[in-house]
Amino acid sequence: MAEPLTVREIIADVFQQGRDTLRVGRETVYYIFNGRRDRAAVWEQLAQLGNRSLIFILVTQGFLGAIMLLQAGFQATRILGDASLIGAQAIPLLVRQLGPTLTAMMIATRAGTGIAAEIGSMVVTEQVDALRMCNAPPVDHLIKPRLLASLVMVPVLTIVGTAAAFFAGMAVAAIVFQTNPSTYANFDVLVGLDVVEGLLKSVAFGIAIPLVAGTAGLSAYGGSEGVGEATTRAVVASSLAVIVLDFLIGSGVFLFR
Amino acid sequence: MTRLFARVGGGVLWISEVVGELTLFTWAFFTAMLKPRIDGREMWRNLHRVGVRSLPIVMVTALFAGGIAAVQVSTYVLKFRAYEVVGWGFGFVVFREMGPLLVGLMFSGRVGAHNTAELGTMKVTEQIDALRILAIDPLHYLVLPRVISMVVMMTLLNVIGNVCALGGGMLTAYVMVGVDPYVFWNSFTEYVLLSDFLNGMVKAAAFGLAIGLYSCAFGMTVRGGAAGVGRAVNASVVAAATGIFVFDYIITAVLQ
Repeated sequence: MAEPLTVREIIADVFQQGRDTLRVGRETVYYIFNGRRDRAAVWEQLAQLGNRSLIFILVTQGFLGAIMLLQAGFQATRILGDASLIGAQAIPLLVRQLGPTLTAMMIATRAGTGIAAEIGSMVVTEQVDALRMCNAPPVDHLIKPRLLASLVMVPVLTIVGTAAAFFAGMAVAAIVFQTNPSTYANFDVLVGLDVVEGLLKSVAFGIAIPLVAGTAGLSAYGGSEGVGEATTRAVVASSLAVIVLDFLIGSGVFLFR
Repeated sequence: MTRLFARVGGGVLWISEVVGELTLFTWAFFTAMLKPRIDGREMWRNLHRVGVRSLPIVMVTALFAGGIAAVQVSTYVLKFRAYEVVGWGFGFVVFREMGPLLVGLMFSGRVGAHNTAELGTMKVTEQIDALRILAIDPLHYLVLPRVISMVVMMTLLNVIGNVCALGGGMLTAYVMVGVDPYVFWNSFTEYVLLSDFLNGMVKAAAFGLAIGLYSCAFGMTVRGGAAGVGRAVNASVVAAATGIFVFDYIITAVLQ
């Protein structure tokens, strides 16, 4: 596929990708209920997705928590002259917004490229055609296990990543702003709706990432360059999907608040 | 037990190898920058490719990022009914943090991954060796224009991104929260300082440098055919994302 350049081409491209993704999503739902039951494949994807992203998520989310606390703390000390309340104000934001979104973007980067590269190279080496010839639908064999795995693992990694950000923030609050960890860990402002919003987002991201990345992989063609292109498309499209879903769910919950 | 030690040791060795390679590459880049021999046409081609082609995705990302930031800021404000600070909170969050961060991550996926794939394909098909045979230093011919154009374009795209985020935020604040755009704009221009904007610009430039250096380094050191290119792309986006967060922390801590 040539690089889209004009506005009309870009819009057409986005619609095309969206339609393909929805089609793959519909097929996946169909095969979840009617397809083969292959526990081993799901377990393998769970391990792939979870174990390989864990350290990366811990590191990036740890830094995220530290950055957030630094920014909030500098403002709080400048305006209020006292940074003891930053924990209470930062924790809800972390739980409902920054934790889920940036964890999902990191998973889209780490696992989305992996999914697209793997499926894409299977497409260009005609292994997917071979699957079709054996009456084994590629969506059932390749996308479904990844979707089920990510539906479990993205919320799990989100919780782990948010916890990492929380503790990194605690360290920054203690070292830079001399805030007692027990003062920092103030969950008074956190309400149940914040937790629900965060989990809702992480489930939505968990559905979107494998579908978007898998669709990009399945539409690869033309040798190793095509695989590279599919990989790039997977990262961009799944990150964008995360941001758009974040906006929609965040707005929806805000209206509900 | 021995397997555990082997895994931990292997991981540490791998990380040291990657960090060492990146450090050497960064060193080589800066020594080459002292006496650059840059091909003008290659430079323009890269500026166009990196900047113009990333424009739509950056604009869309920033628009939504602005909307997200407006909703989140409003959640805090709603408790106190302090609508006149929405613009300030929004500008502060977006200019300093969310704008550069989200644009940087998007840029890394769009441009960094593509760059690693391209250089990696050139490497495994021995085109880079061919350049060396023609007495063209690939560092000057391929790497310098790419890294420079990423730093320049990331900085410029951040400006456009900030403007788009501002538009998205104003619209969202008006539709969702009912903050009058005029009130929003007033509080924005009143309280958001030039230093907030410049802070974000420094971050954007640093992110551009990280993305450029890492994506080129991983592309130039690809081994092992087409599968190696895929691995390199994955490693490069991971390294770039980690680099973005680390740089973000350092700049936030230093500039306050």
